[in-house]
Amino acid sequence: MLFDDLRAIQEQYGYLPGEQLEALSKRTEVPLYRIHGVADFYPHFHLAPPPKVTLRVCADMSCHLCGADDLRVGLKQRFQGMSESDLKIGEVSCLGQCDGGPAVSINDHIYRNVTPAQAEALVLTALGGSSLPHMPADARVNGLASDPYHDAERYGAVRKVVQTRDWDGVIAQLKASGLSGLGGAGFPTGIKWEAVRKAPGPEKYVVCNADESEPGTIKDRFIMQNLPHLVIEGMILAGLVTGAQKGILYLRHEYEGPEHVLREEIDRCYQEGLLGSSVAGSGLAFDLELFISPGGYICGEESALIEAIEGKRAEPRNKPPFPVTHGVFNKPTALNNVETFANVPQILVNGVDWYKAQGQGGAAGLKFVGISGDVRNPGIFEIPMGLPMSEVIFNLAGGITGGRKLKAFAPSGPSSGYLPASMAEVRLDFKSLAAAGSMLGSGAIVICAEGRCMLDMALNAVKFFRNESCGKCVPCRMGSQKLVDILTGWTQGKGSAADLPMIEDITEALKLASICGLGQFAHAPLSSVMQHFRPEIESHIYDKRCPEGVCPMHPERAL
Amino acid sequence: MSDVHLTIDGAAVSVPAGTTIFDAARMHGIPIPTLCHQQNETPVGVCRVCVVEAGGRVLSAACVRQAEDKMVVTTNSEKVTRARRTLIELLMADHPSPCARQRQSNDCELETLARLEGITQPRFPRRLSPRGQDNSSLVIAVDHEACILCDRCIRGCDEIRHNDVLGRRGKGFWAGIAFDYNLPMGNSSCVSCGECMVSCPTGALTNKSVVKTVLPGEPVDVEELQQLSYFQKVSGTFLELNKNAVVRRHYRKGEIVCREGEYGSTAFYILEGQAQVFLATPLAHVQTQGGATGFFSKLTSRLAGRQQERREEEGARRSIPIDAPVDLPYDNPVATLGPGDLFGEMTCMSLYPRSATVRAATDCVMFEMLRNVLDIIQRNKTLKAQLDANYRKRALDDHLRSVPMFASLTPEFIDVLRNKVELVRHTKGDVICRQGDIADSFYLVRLGFVKVSEPHPGGELVLAYLGRGGYFGEIGLLGEGRRTATCTALDHVELVRIHAEEFHQMVEQFPDVRQNLERLAYERTEQNRQRLATATSMPLDDFLTQGLMEAQSLLVMDLERCTRCDACVRACADAHEGVTRLVREGQRFDKYLVATSCRHCRDPLCMVGCPVGSIRRRNSLEVIIENWCIGCGLCAKNCPYGNINLHPFNVLEDDPANPGRQIAVVKQKATSCDLCTEHAEPTCVYACPHDACHRVDPNEFFRWLGTPLETETRRSLT
Repeated sequence: MLFDDLRAIQEQYGYLPGEQLEALSKRTEVPLYRIHGVADFYPHFHLAPPPKVTLRVCADMSCHLCGADDLRVGLKQRFQGMSESDLKIGEVSCLGQCDGGPAVSINDHIYRNVTPAQAEALVLTALGGSSLPHMPADARVNGLASDPYHDAERYGAVRKVVQTRDWDGVIAQLKASGLSGLGGAGFPTGIKWEAVRKAPGPEKYVVCNADESEPGTIKDRFIMQNLPHLVIEGMILAGLVTGAQKGILYLRHEYEGPEHVLREEIDRCYQEGLLGSSVAGSGLAFDLELFISPGGYICGEESALIEAIEGKRAEPRNKPPFPVTHGVFNKPTALNNVETFANVPQILVNGVDWYKAQGQGGAAGLKFVGISGDVRNPGIFEIPMGLPMSEVIFNLAGGITGGRKLKAFAPSGPSSGYLPASMAEVRLDFKSLAAAGSMLGSGAIVICAEGRCMLDMALNAVKFFRNESCGKCVPCRMGSQKLVDILTGWTQGKGSAADLPMIEDITEALKLASICGLGQFAHAPLSSVMQHFRPEIESHIYDKRCPEGVCPMHPERAL
Repeated sequence: MSDVHLTIDGAAVSVPAGTTIFDAARMHGIPIPTLCHQQNETPVGVCRVCVVEAGGRVLSAACVRQAEDKMVVTTNSEKVTRARRTLIELLMADHPSPCARQRQSNDCELETLARLEGITQPRFPRRLSPRGQDNSSLVIAVDHEACILCDRCIRGCDEIRHNDVLGRRGKGFWAGIAFDYNLPMGNSSCVSCGECMVSCPTGALTNKSVVKTVLPGEPVDVEELQQLSYFQKVSGTFLELNKNAVVRRHYRKGEIVCREGEYGSTAFYILEGQAQVFLATPLAHVQTQGGATGFFSKLTSRLAGRQQERREEEGARRSIPIDAPVDLPYDNPVATLGPGDLFGEMTCMSLYPRSATVRAATDCVMFEMLRNVLDIIQRNKTLKAQLDANYRKRALDDHLRSVPMFASLTPEFIDVLRNKVELVRHTKGDVICRQGDIADSFYLVRLGFVKVSEPHPGGELVLAYLGRGGYFGEIGLLGEGRRTATCTALDHVELVRIHAEEFHQMVEQFPDVRQNLERLAYERTEQNRQRLATATSMPLDDFLTQGLMEAQSLLVMDLERCTRCDACVRACADAHEGVTRLVREGQRFDKYLVATSCRHCRDPLCMVGCPVGSIRRRNSLEVIIENWCIGCGLCAKNCPYGNINLHPFNVLEDDPANPGRQIAVVKQKATSCDLCTEHAEPTCVYACPHDACHRVDPNEFFRWLGTPLETETRRSLT
């Protein structure tokens, strides 16, 4: 496995020296260009010797709202003049700690709620050669309504279904429950599993997408930490139903806490005979392994994730064909999100009726959402599907910080775009949010209080897509950068009326011609603010004025 | 396969299932513009310029999307044309227009599309961070600024040519193309085949036009070359660039095409006529008896013919290996080549001297080509198949029969082999098989040199060098099924590979072949074992640094006894027509001098490259020079110890200027210490009045070094 070889080299040398890559190429007979292409693609690998200390401040939505820019600029000033081989301070894409912004990574150790003083102390510790402290593990939360077992014996759904062997019954129940993909795309799970079950061939895979990397998305971290048995049971059930004998749980490498919990749970399942050559004594085999991602938001795109599993650059595939028939190594693959898998045992144990009764306003089931940004009580909440957004913001999350008013909210990170406060009564379910011109996505709610500049927020979100584009196709690679260039111009008072048709053209090209969802939605934050906050944006373009006083507008004059 | 029925721009279209929309549209006269798609490469759908409406939320790339039944495709809707135009404009925004391709040949595909779209001044802001140029390759200019990441070069390099040099680097807006691990092109493993440059739609990879090769002869049009089957797949740009590296030559009947022993760098391909291949140098040894001294001895040196030859095993060899698809029969070393034959490959690929003289037997037309052209057409499957077929048809018999141990194979069995053997080629440095690998085949060396070695702490131990006519792989196949040594190509090597199945069939059917092979396998194993024992029992660094580990017989002089009277040198000269084969100089070890005289190395570097295989070993470890030596001098050059001399003599040869008449020519043959095998003892040793001069086994010599050599322990190899 190429990633394992690269990790071993990096472990030994601290980076990937050219001659080691050459030796690896000779040994494995993998051409050098492929090894380099892979090593250069993933942020986890370094092709040059890293400095003694690398400090990277998360730059995305929630941390941006929590003062990440000030933290970064302040630290750069504090350590001014220090050589590049000792300390490098930069930005990093969302670390999945949105409820604890600003988040910082120092030599790959991740810290939450970091103050300038704490960051400075940590840098000095690392410079002094001392080992860095580990962030304390999240406290376990008990009594979640999503756990059908509580004190009862776990894995009941698996034990039951291996008795009846009614695989079609499982699919029928999933279809009846209306369970749809909770990673963002919302594809009906029953139909997906049925397609994999019907796909010909003896070799099939079950893959769990635990690579949540979209700014604001933190719910899978919580689910894996607190309900690991439901995730694994969901995967076992998928294996039994579809006939796949191999499961791969694709986890983002920053999630060390969940990794630990999952490894323990997987070991326990092997000991108890729930995984292995005969699942719960059924004579049916299912093996499960953790695959630690070498990093990058694009790996969360299902076909890019599959390419990564195959040891390649995580560049999304042209579709069709879809993973249900051509997935891992072109074999039929049932690929679902963490939360989707965790929902399956709930439905099978508690029944379809119970499941449907959990939702509100015509929606079914429970939903985990993360909320972050300008709220008093950021975190992860288990809510009925269909709960109005205002309930989450004002009740569960304790309302807006600093006694301010709500200005805008992103229902699910940058991909969902921003909706204005006037739409806060929208229900959190697939249909209602789609009708509002947004999406339920992965339940990554990000809150902007009054005083936030929506152009600044849109630029921040588009930068995220630009940074995380794989570069495979022209619209996304070029379009996202040109959007960043144009919007940056607007924040500097360089906008003009001629820019508007340009961004419309780019938006159309991104939406229609990109290979994958990243490119297709890269315009969303901008389009949404153009729709809901147009006067504020136009003020930047025509009046050269930022109504909230956030954008620099005349940077050259300021200098 | 069944057909699918769909509609493209309103027209009903039927195509076989599996056809892409792009192909379906093209078959029906609807061209879809594209940048990243080329018909000879696997489609990747990255430029998105070919997007069409095919139902669904988003547009589909026509080059990758397969046509489906009842699909309704629109290639020219407002949605499609707007997206396409934006994509081209986005690319143009960062394009250094006019790029190198546009300036050179006016055919940048991006700029052409932009012109059709009427895009002159892209509206989007231009990229600020520079992407740079790479001028390190001698042949190809790289301008990353003009790169649109269509992946055409990457597929050309990896998929078409299998050179596996080019890939993508970085990610997103910072992605680019990279050679190996992002090396400058000129420092990478790129072989400058030109495929990337030919594949590139823009000025990112262009020809530097610095190749100014001029071969004498008539230049050939690129169009004409491409009409010949074996040049068809070669890129026109490449041929254009190497215009003078392949020329047409006309030879009149009797004219010499190339002469044995000459250094050259070209290969020949016969288009018309017949050519005769022969050895002009008489098949004879430089005879080394007689008492003449001084300068006149050279003029009186004579050649001993076969009848006077003293070496008994001589007759066993039936043919002389040369650099052509035939071997020359020993008894009558002449052969004929005809249209479709290629000769001079070894000279061209590895710059060895010509192994034979070629003369036009009728009026002839040939292509003469340089290495870069030969290299690229050898990658051409059509030509390779044709050359291989010639070899199978004509030379396999000779090749097998030239090896004495296969002499008993019946024509019927050779026919079986003819169709079953695989002809494989390796480039310099390739490992053909590795110690410990499963032994799955037996190899005959058809061209080039193979090093047989064992990995060993502190370096490798070379067991043998095998040239044309050599063979290996029998030990593993007859023994435990694993390779016992590692075989590496020393230069351009072509091998005949006999798979295990046929090999076993052969040894079962021909018991004497089996017997011979088993005996040989035993001998080789035994020799290797002894060598390894030596290597491990000796103080390695001394040995290795002096190259003495490889010696089997050293001429040493005890300097305490030696009075520098030079009797040894004179005796040698007397025995060899006044030309001494020993020089009383060399490395000193304690009181002993290792004189300059053939050491009969175990690892005879002198053998590597001999174009006719005349310097070789027979069944003993003694290095000898066979009588078909053509005097090219390569062995003398190769000997690191200066122990091989060239010996000039006069012969009469056909006068090329006056057919039918002969002229006197000075020829050379290589000589080295022959240990005076006709005498009881080397004359130098015999002649020493002070008992200072000895031929010794170096192993024992070094073991005893430090203690005086005792008479009873002295040993001479003779």
